Amino acid sequence: MAHDPEVIKDLEDKVKVVRRNIMRIFESSHLGHCGGTMSLVEIVTALYFHHLKLDPNNCDWPERDRFVLSKAHAAEAIYAILPEIGYVSEETLDKYYCYRSQFQGHADRWCTPGIDYSGGSLGQGLSFAAGLAMTEKMKTADNPPILGSTNVPKYVMKYNPTYRVYCIVGDGECAEGEIWEAAMFAGKYKLDNLINIVDYNKYSIDGPVEQVMPLAPLDAKFRDFGWWVKEIDGHNLTEIVDTLDLANNLYGDGKPKCIIAHTVKGHGIPLWESTHMHHGKGKGIDMAVTEGREIYG
Amino acid sequence: MAKSKFNKYIKIGPPTATMPVVDAAMLKVLEKHNNVVAVMEDGGMFALDWFKKNAPHRVVECGIAEANGAVIAGALASEGYMPFLHSFTFAVFGRAYNQIRQSILVDRFNVKITGRDGVWGESGVSHNLVETIGSMRVLPNLVILNPADIVEFEKAFIAMADYVGPVFFRMEASPDPFKIFTDDYPFEIGKAYVIKEGKDATIIATGYLVTEAIKAIDILEKEGLDVGIINMSTLKPLDEEAIIKAAEKTRAIVTAENGSIIGGLGEGVAAILAKNAPAALETVGVEDEFSQSARLSPELDELKELFGLGAEDLAISVKECIAKREKFKLIRK
Repeated sequence: MAHDPEVIKDLEDKVKVVRRNIMRIFESSHLGHCGGTMSLVEIVTALYFHHLKLDPNNCDWPERDRFVLSKAHAAEAIYAILPEIGYVSEETLDKYYCYRSQFQGHADRWCTPGIDYSGGSLGQGLSFAAGLAMTEKMKTADNPPILGSTNVPKYVMKYNPTYRVYCIVGDGECAEGEIWEAAMFAGKYKLDNLINIVDYNKYSIDGPVEQVMPLAPLDAKFRDFGWWVKEIDGHNLTEIVDTLDLANNLYGDGKPKCIIAHTVKGHGIPLWESTHMHHGKGKGIDMAVTEGREIYG
Repeated sequence: MAKSKFNKYIKIGPPTATMPVVDAAMLKVLEKHNNVVAVMEDGGMFALDWFKKNAPHRVVECGIAEANGAVIAGALASEGYMPFLHSFTFAVFGRAYNQIRQSILVDRFNVKITGRDGVWGESGVSHNLVETIGSMRVLPNLVILNPADIVEFEKAFIAMADYVGPVFFRMEASPDPFKIFTDDYPFEIGKAYVIKEGKDATIIATGYLVTEAIKAIDILEKEGLDVGIINMSTLKPLDEEAIIKAAEKTRAIVTAENGSIIGGLGEGVAAILAKNAPAALETVGVEDEFSQSARLSPELDELKELFGLGAEDLAISVKECIAKREKFKLIRK
């Protein structure tokens, strides 16, 4: 279903804000995972500002949609969004990598409001997301409670929320065996409430993904594991929101969903796009940030 | 009737298998807690009949994919469930070391990990782990339990569920330990129990080695030595108070564990002694080597001898430790 052009226009404006916030993060840190962060911006903007069921006043709202950033090194993209939702203060943008900061090197559940998973060790996020999707099914089956209630956190089995679980994995990360253990698991348990987005930016640290560890055909791989698969342009907001809606509305078909988003590493910053930059440091990052500031203000 | 040389709650009985009590223990946990989930890795589970009858949706079978299984358990716990994760230790823990660290321990998720292991058994080097205790003790947020007999096994299993946080429960496969405790023994996580007082030396043992320690004090008694035994069934956190008290009393401590002496109970006790209460120390355990297959009897005795884990070897270590104390001129309280 087509979206109102106003919605897309609004999201485009939000993308600019998110990019500007990312520049602010890098300005203070002079260090970051720039390539894999920039390739995600449109996707996470569409998720947070249009798609995810969230309560800005309660990041632990039990009925919220769950979000797992498996490629947690791209936390900067989420960190740029959290102050806009209101989960952290705007000043936190200047505290990336800092001691006692809510913005740790990789996105962490234990200290950052609005983060559902402590990532950083690649390959595990899809398993965690599948586990969260499993709990949604389990809570549904638990109603009414199976036994007298004692010593249980009060939110367990108290009601029957339905939520979706969104996960973002990187393409290089798909070389991890655990991704495919999780894919098999999600297929077995028909986790149609699980939506996995692959940020297919084609580059990892050692070079092009197809050279480091060939991944293609990725769509066929997920299909063989029992998933519904759709490939999109990961920088086209209309395609992103339409596909997210479609995947959401297919709930009940018994299939986990995989959206393969073709993206460009370092997207939006010409200096990074041309170099497939993964980690930026010192002068290299400062030059690109100057470029970014000229474009996004 | 002569007064028992053992403390309260101790009544030594014949060797009794511990594993058969696990279903009953799980049923008691299920009576008390309504958030239990069985996360399986094709390695079996407890009270499965109950789950099949009452809550089949609470059984999550992950297959032989332990990395995924550990993270699934973490996710279930993050939503308020209490997953029990079970398999052989080399698989459930060894295979998923980083998954347990990252997706369970970092956020202190309430997952109960139970693993079958022990340095001996028929299965050979792959299944007979020497590194269990050492590799786990370094991990923050993890409680490690290693019960000594069938009574403590059941009590520790239930206590593990009552405790909120990640726990590893070591299930030593064979041989069967003595029945040691009476049914009213009050088990508490983090508390060592003094099985027997002794003035000449103290053996601090864990798991099956408590049985060997009980055999060893009989040997030593015949030689005129009065040796105490402390059951250290919580391997993390170690009961510092009990260790310091024993060290001040006898100044001769012998640790005994069914595992490598590197990183294990012995090293944990050594650190506490060095910092708080100097004492002569002998650490009985497997030296820096792997295990192998051995049938229960009589080959197991040979393997025990090879590793120096039998009662006779333990008794020799106690005498060496006492000699060391004299050499160091350490004064007992």
